[in-house]
Amino acid sequence: MTTSDSPADSVDPKLLEILVCPVTKGPLEYDAARQELISRAARLAYPIRDGIPIMLPEEARRLD
Amino acid sequence: MNKDKFAHDRDTLDQQTLNRAYARWAPIYDIVFGGVFDHGRKASIEAAEKLGGRILDVGIGTGISLLDFAPSNQIVGVDISEPMLRRARQRVVEAGLKNVACLAVMDAERLGFADAYFDVLVAQYVITAVPNPDAVLTEFARVTKPGGEIILVNHIGAERGPRRLFELCFAPIARGLGWRPEFPFARIVRWCERSPDVHLIERRPMPPLGHFSLIRLGKLR
Repeated sequence: MTTSDSPADSVDPKLLEILVCPVTKGPLEYDAARQELISRAARLAYPIRDGIPIMLPEEARRLD
Repeated sequence: MNKDKFAHDRDTLDQQTLNRAYARWAPIYDIVFGGVFDHGRKASIEAAEKLGGRILDVGIGTGISLLDFAPSNQIVGVDISEPMLRRARQRVVEAGLKNVACLAVMDAERLGFADAYFDVLVAQYVITAVPNPDAVLTEFARVTKPGGEIILVNHIGAERGPRRLFELCFAPIARGLGWRPEFPFARIVRWCERSPDVHLIERRPMPPLGHFSLIRLGKLR
């Protein structure tokens, strides 16, 4: 997913260099369409709301 | 701020809860944290910028301190309150701050950063308000680089003397803010003693009355 067509409120791709999963401390993937940061190891998708990543496991969507 | 309340509600944390808490705080937040705590804020930023580099501000709230950081440093801000961070983000956009790399909602006990990522970590009025201060300090040490510093500003309970009297009057206000008014400095010292890679550099009482302390902890190289 490219970021060139992202709205102004979307997340800065540099965030992936800064943020890790708060549970596993492992890397995250950015899903621009869903506006989520995905931790494969924790099987959690952290929401990004209005450009603010919500890095709380209890707010994250569980991945099956 | 008022992290105690948020932390206790963690399992049932929802937008409505946060919005209600924020609504209670919003009218006075900037006045309280912009005025009364001005000295501690300025002093902690000054201490942080002596080292400079990547700076993490934990409990950034509405981002008052963001405007005080030099443009040369890279600032990352986290808070448990999403509504407050929205306001901080608005501040970043309005002021055109280029040095703010990221604002994210996080629990201080479970930070989403790699080990040794930051040169400096600043946490004002945080560790006395969280459920597990020791766990939070350990997490702070994890994300701080060797040779880096953890800078805390806190209300520390007086051990004795006239300030102890003032404490008794201040206690209900402190509780209202979600702080433990009796938080002893010895607790931080004990945590340092148990942490082989961290040492206490300085405890500096802040005006007025030395009621707040600036505490600098160093991560050993």
